[in-house]
Amino acid sequence: MKLTDRSFVLVLLLPATLFLASFVGYPLFLLIRDSFHDVSIYALGEGEFVGWANYAKALSSSRVLDSAGRTLNYTILALSAEFVLGFGAALLFNAMGKRSEILRTVFAFPLMIPPIVAGLLWRFMLIDNIGIVNHILEQLGLIADSSDISWLGDRDIVLFSVALPNIWLTTSFVALALYTGLQNIPSELIEAAKIDGASAMQRFHRITVPLLRPVIAVVLILRGIDAARAFDMIWIQTEGGPRFASEILSIHIYRTMIRYGNVGEASAIAALFMLGMLLISAMVFFLIWGRGTWQ
Amino acid sequence: MNSSFAQRTTLALLVATILIIYVFPYAFLVSTSVKPPEDALAIPPTLLPQRISLENYSNIGEFPSVQRSFGNSIIIALLCTGWTLLLAVPAAYGVARFATWAGKLFLLVALVTRLIPPVSVGIPLFAIMRSLGLTDTHVGVALAHATIGVPLAIWLLASFMEGIPHELEEAARVDGCSRLGALFRIIIPVAAGGIAVTAVFVFLASWNEFLFSLLLSSTGIKTAPIAIAEFKSQYSIQWGTMTSLSVLYSLPVIIFSLVMQKRIVAGMTMGAVKG
Repeated sequence: MKLTDRSFVLVLLLPATLFLASFVGYPLFLLIRDSFHDVSIYALGEGEFVGWANYAKALSSSRVLDSAGRTLNYTILALSAEFVLGFGAALLFNAMGKRSEILRTVFAFPLMIPPIVAGLLWRFMLIDNIGIVNHILEQLGLIADSSDISWLGDRDIVLFSVALPNIWLTTSFVALALYTGLQNIPSELIEAAKIDGASAMQRFHRITVPLLRPVIAVVLILRGIDAARAFDMIWIQTEGGPRFASEILSIHIYRTMIRYGNVGEASAIAALFMLGMLLISAMVFFLIWGRGTWQ
Repeated sequence: MNSSFAQRTTLALLVATILIIYVFPYAFLVSTSVKPPEDALAIPPTLLPQRISLENYSNIGEFPSVQRSFGNSIIIALLCTGWTLLLAVPAAYGVARFATWAGKLFLLVALVTRLIPPVSVGIPLFAIMRSLGLTDTHVGVALAHATIGVPLAIWLLASFMEGIPHELEEAARVDGCSRLGALFRIIIPVAAGGIAVTAVFVFLASWNEFLFSLLLSSTGIKTAPIAIAEFKSQYSIQWGTMTSLSVLYSLPVIIFSLVMQKRIVAGMTMGAVKG
């Protein structure tokens, strides 16, 4: 039997396709189905059809809307800190040339630290009174007493505190990815601009940033999604508390499903959450990447 | 001369500050783990151990279920890696070698799976595993982890395989090798390095995974992250043992990260930014 190239490709893709269809596609289908039914965790796969009721309930619940807002704040907070610090570090590596190798190796070190370890570690460092962070701040004279800042207990700052381990872990990834991008910019371009009398600022603005756009888009989208979906790191630090002040959507969905057993409503929130992420990612993609290629 | 000296000093200071801030948290974790247990919460906290003690490590012996969880994590990660490579190697070859619409669509779908928050597919996956009789089995958790591993592996492997010159297979085909034979005799040996890197990645993704493990494993097959997280709630946080567990749990990951830093960047961007 003679296989054409096309059917050979299909044969190669078949096993992976079947697997993804049954363990990603089918669960997604179940999720959408559940979102239109009144399903309880105790009777999965059963439940009455309720139309858009779960969606209406989700969209009118202030707790859902609040956690959506917190998800957005958390993502913007973590992502902008990671991006500014990471970009700065990437430029520093680039300027240092070969000598940056040691620094880059050190930066590589938190790349894959398990999120729960990062969460636990920061929780340990941020304990009021006896945490090392407050102790250092006290020693530096920045706070009068080591109990002055209650990082994980103060509702006003907890969202920032739970973002710290994320920033710690991810800045290095942003830095190394952007550094790789910077390395791929042909040095002739920069040299030519220098000869033409472009200032450092102009070179950055006119050459580096536009050429780096695709990398910036990839980094922002991927890390943005990961921050928005964050679960374990926050769960291990506060479980969404105190009084929901760090409850972002993934934690709220988990609670609605497991603790309250309301799978239908949780599915509706999850579906809306995914739709929102898809729209925002597509927007970022076209705004940043698109503009780079069309120019 | 003067300004260059000032510049270099500033740069050196800047680099030193970054290094200290960066390494500090983990160094503090390791330092706490070798303090005597009661010193973990000493007031005021000390940066370096006053006395070195391995008691936090030997205390782990008192928690056999936690020890078992490390074994579970290894078994699950190995199963997940094997299964993922079995599916992803042929798929990546198909995508990388034959530019068809199906291949492109496939890559796009693999990318979109990254958008899915694990929490949303967790319950349906639980229901599916239950109907397959796979709840509370290593295989069940490994399959759930493979939903993350397979798309990641396909992206990584496709970018490795694109780098292999076509002439290699063409020569083999001219010599009478079948298409599948070319995959096994030419591509897999040549891409072995890339496949190994991908395997490490998939292994670590499974090792670090939390939510699916939380939903799919009840008692017997808990993975290490779940055991560590529960350790916190069960025993009113024994921070000493917590730090030694965290060090042991993250050690393999850190070693791999340092060895493969460039590859990891490529992997975390699914190859879109090549390292």
